[in-house]
Amino acid sequence: MKQYVTFTIDGAHVRAAKGASVLDVAIEYGVCIPHLCHVPYLSDIGACRLCIVEHIKDGRSKVTTSCTLHVQEGMVIRSNTDKIKRLRRNIAELLVAQAPNSRAIQDIAVRCGVKEVRYPFRNSNCVLCGRCVRACTEMWRARAIGFVGRGKDRHVDFPFGVRSDLCKHCGSCVMLCPMSITPCNGPMKTGEEYLCGKCESQLAITENLSDSCVWCELGKGFQCGRYQ
Amino acid sequence: MPAIKNASDLEALRKRLQTQRGTFRATLTLCGGTGCQASQSQAVIDAIKGELVRQGLENSIHVRVSGCHGFCEQGPIMVIEPGNIFYCHIIPDDAQEIVSKTICNGEIIERLLYTDPVSGNKIQTEAEIPFYRAQDRQLLSKNRFVNPCSIEDYIAIGGYSALAKVLAGMLPDAIIEEMKASGLRGRGGGGFYTGRKWADCRAAQGDEKYVICNADEGDPGAYMDRSILEGNPHLVLEGMMIGAFAIGAGQGAIYVRREYPLAVKHARIAVQQAREYGLLGENILGTDFSFKVEIARGGGAFVCGESTALMASLAGKVGEPRPKDVHTVEEGFMNKPTTLNNVETWANVPSIIHNGAAWFAAKGTKGSKGTKILALTGRVKNTGLIEVAMGTPLRTIVFDIGGGALDGKAVKAVQTGGPSGGCLPVSKFDLPVDFDAFAEAGSMVGSGGMVVMDESTCMVDVAKYFLTFLQDESCGKCVPCRLGIDRMLEIITDITNGKGRPEQIPLLKELAETVSETALCGLGKTAPNPVLSTLRYFSEEYDAHVNQKRCPAGVCKALITYTIDAQKCKGCGLCLKACPHGAIKGEKKQVHVIDTHLCHKCGICTDECNSQAITVN
Repeated sequence: MKQYVTFTIDGAHVRAAKGASVLDVAIEYGVCIPHLCHVPYLSDIGACRLCIVEHIKDGRSKVTTSCTLHVQEGMVIRSNTDKIKRLRRNIAELLVAQAPNSRAIQDIAVRCGVKEVRYPFRNSNCVLCGRCVRACTEMWRARAIGFVGRGKDRHVDFPFGVRSDLCKHCGSCVMLCPMSITPCNGPMKTGEEYLCGKCESQLAITENLSDSCVWCELGKGFQCGRYQ
Repeated sequence: MPAIKNASDLEALRKRLQTQRGTFRATLTLCGGTGCQASQSQAVIDAIKGELVRQGLENSIHVRVSGCHGFCEQGPIMVIEPGNIFYCHIIPDDAQEIVSKTICNGEIIERLLYTDPVSGNKIQTEAEIPFYRAQDRQLLSKNRFVNPCSIEDYIAIGGYSALAKVLAGMLPDAIIEEMKASGLRGRGGGGFYTGRKWADCRAAQGDEKYVICNADEGDPGAYMDRSILEGNPHLVLEGMMIGAFAIGAGQGAIYVRREYPLAVKHARIAVQQAREYGLLGENILGTDFSFKVEIARGGGAFVCGESTALMASLAGKVGEPRPKDVHTVEEGFMNKPTTLNNVETWANVPSIIHNGAAWFAAKGTKGSKGTKILALTGRVKNTGLIEVAMGTPLRTIVFDIGGGALDGKAVKAVQTGGPSGGCLPVSKFDLPVDFDAFAEAGSMVGSGGMVVMDESTCMVDVAKYFLTFLQDESCGKCVPCRLGIDRMLEIITDITNGKGRPEQIPLLKELAETVSETALCGLGKTAPNPVLSTLRYFSEEYDAHVNQKRCPAGVCKALITYTIDAQKCKGCGLCLKACPHGAIKGEKKQVHVIDTHLCHKCGICTDECNSQAITVN
């Protein structure tokens, strides 16, 4: 029999199946926690750090990713404190400065309240969210692609850089890639990247409703778990 | 070699070994640690042994090749007992003189004695050397009495008696209580209470549990774990066996980096010897306790010192950390409850069990007990491995043990805790070595690296150096660490290149705070410490770089110019000849001039000039 726990998220008491992640439960209850590397049917690795929440325990708050945090009886979670918003905005700013050439990343920046980018833009074509790698490994058990290198050399590639027969051209990796969604005005040229911010009107509604999900277009953009 | 079947066998063996060792006329302890080996100690050892054979003394004089003593810069070093005579910088040609004069006649060879750089006096015995005198050497002092390749040496000085005490009837819970009472905290960097970790691991559900020794030390300049594992591997092994018994583990592993070949070798020999004596394996000392240890070699990634990354690497996966919402004491190596402790932490265990928790807790401060080994390096007169009681002020370490700054310069700061620690200024030198006090001051005790910096060090450049190291060593899994360190380094590089803008400083601070709050593992969370601590204590240096476009320490090349002081220049022409870029012009006996367009700011002219006429601004 399924076991349930009750806990608090942003002051609301919610009931959830034991073993679920805080992020899954939040999405289910319509609490909007931005996320990028999370895909509902894949394992969570906590790489993008956008889904951070404050976990308040014994009077002390700990910032942790909600995708890797399992629900526990009586836990207290706060997903939209000023501190969390500020940290999330800074992470989104890092992401959009690294890879502005994607509508998904631009939408995340808007959702996290990035108004200006204080770093020089780079035109990277991968943010190493690892969605593709996990889809390939976990969904299809193909293991055709993986992470190669460490730190600033880390990238996604085939083993030894050669496409092997393990890859069945299923296209799951491309489908899940946030970089495959081009900006509305078409791809940006190198040296001409900018923060788009056009979809800010979307945000007005959510701001008033204090981070509850309104099925916004932005979520579609960054492949929010709610749409999958 | 007879297997030791019970505690009385062990005691009998110990007695026999001690009597056998008492028959020697004198004991020569030569350091065979990595530091001394780098200064050719092996040749000295061979020469001394050869000389003893030649003079027919090989049976009455005991030569012990020990592990690191800590005073590596004086290597190769030798201690002669009786007399506690300390010789340093020995060369193989000295062997004959040492044997015939000091050993046969008790004469002291002045030339080989240590000269105190502070007072200039020659010092005869090891105990009188200020470097050693101000220390409290509980772990390191044992290195001197043990040949790391000989389990007999370790047993002779009381080794494995703590294990025998534990197996003679201490309950696991009693051991954990003893550890809790001792207040021992993890020496690897985290500073978590060891007793609590063991208790959690013991309470965790699971039929199979593991203990791991983390010897993947990677901080630049730190080598305390290496020295213990190289110098006294049985001490670590005994600690691990006690820990394994307490938490109920049957298997252990020592994860040691491949770059430490001597540590790997000695750990392997130690495990082999313990197995032969029956101290590892089934039914140890006639009890139900069985324990196996494997040696695993790490590839040298800094991030593999992080517990979850280490366990992934040990299991054959990519050494990347995972989120620790479920702790490793519940789900660690192979998803089984695992206790991971640092080499130094394990090495502290036998003496706590042997002497009792109260003995250990008597030293130190309220929150940090016992002693800590630190690697003192940088711009001080005495460098090496030191061990001090927790609570010793930084001032004592830098000035009493370290002997103060080199070349009459003023000490500016000390960088503690390795790349993820922080820089503490002279005004904070009254801070005691204490986990909480250091954390409050924006640094950390960490694994115990201690780099002293003087006025010729640019703090912005220091922050840049550590960020470059961390950028290379970050695994790249999470965004704040990968992109955050990258952007911090980008900003700092701008600042050191004279392209810094005033608004970048608050941005740097905000970014550093974001990274430390949100990064996935300990590496990322502590990575901004060099930036945050230098911003906190040396903001005027950042200000000088950004607003006045100058580097006060004269380090950042883009911000300095070399000029020749017309008053001091004698026109000797040394600088002109030395300059590799032809940037210096001038006639003989006339004042020389540096062409700033051609000058590459290499500093060769400054080194050449005899009249200190070249200034850096």
